[in-house]
Amino acid sequence: MKNSILTLITLIVFSFTAFSQTDGKLVSKKTHFKIYSHTAAEDIEANNYKSVGTINTETGEIVFSVPMQSYEFEKSLMQKHYNSKKFLDTKQFPKSKLKGRITNLADVDFKNDGSYNVNIEGDLTIHGETKKVSEKATITVKGANVVLNTKLNLTLADYAIAFKDGKPSTNIAKVIEVTVVAELILCCYPVSGLYK
Amino acid sequence: MLKNKLLKIILILIGVGVLTAIGIGFYMFNMPHRDVQATSSDYKLSAEAIVTEYLNNPTVANDKYLDAEGESKILEITGQITSITTDFNNQKVVLLKGENAEAGVICTFTEKTNASVNKLKEGQNISVKGVIRSGASYDEDLEMYENVILEKCSLINKNQ
Repeated sequence: MKNSILTLITLIVFSFTAFSQTDGKLVSKKTHFKIYSHTAAEDIEANNYKSVGTINTETGEIVFSVPMQSYEFEKSLMQKHYNSKKFLDTKQFPKSKLKGRITNLADVDFKNDGSYNVNIEGDLTIHGETKKVSEKATITVKGANVVLNTKLNLTLADYAIAFKDGKPSTNIAKVIEVTVVAELILCCYPVSGLYK
Repeated sequence: MLKNKLLKIILILIGVGVLTAIGIGFYMFNMPHRDVQATSSDYKLSAEAIVTEYLNNPTVANDKYLDAEGESKILEITGQITSITTDFNNQKVVLLKGENAEAGVICTFTEKTNASVNKLKEGQNISVKGVIRSGASYDEDLEMYENVILEKCSLINKNQ
């Protein structure tokens, strides 16, 4: 009895693994995330080239992981403030994550060159706070090369990043613009095998 | 007469104080970034060793290597080159990873140090110095391992 249950579990696990391995999965290791804050006092910008992501072309699942300490500011003092406990607390929360789904996957033809508008819905976790997001993006297919472009507006207060007074409250916008460019490639063999 | 002299001294002292405060404020605001290459390394270890440390206990490893203000530890990592690529900022990116390792250390070079990567080849063993940004982990949503991220990297000449 015990043995047959074990066999069954093994079979189920194995079949799931087998399915996920036959899925077409796009992997992105070449990315650019830019955050931009505009106020009357000043404009602040920071760039990050270290995010990784995946798009499953069969299910529309989209995942991006952003290492928060990789945001580079022009001024070192701003970078220190951004990382500190009062702001993003990057030691406690080193990564942000988007876990979502392309809701109009049928509109995208990954096999034919073209530019496709997509809607992405899912959960965005920043600073340990998870919020539902719904964003528009563009997927451009050119041969084996797929590029995702999007621009999102994030309200800092949604992620428990709030400034009541002092310089930050006047010099940092309440809503930050995030520009994303991600180059994805179809990985032709099992994802789990490729990165192990 | 004595009162006037005292007032003068006080005013001068206040003036100097205000100027110093402005000077410090200006310096703080425009303070340059830490020069990773000019700063001595905090730890020297292999790519395999730091990956294992992170996979075994990410909380302890984060506490050891990451800094609350983003000025995280400067590491000297030795490992085998698995891939060499270029990012959207035209920076060279070298992955140091053992043949059967689950994850490696991905090192991003800078405008100044990019050229040193040109002579490197896959399979070669090198040592790289840089600042750690995040650790290695398995992400079940990505369904893959994420590498240890090292930035502002430069090549270390072992013969020196």
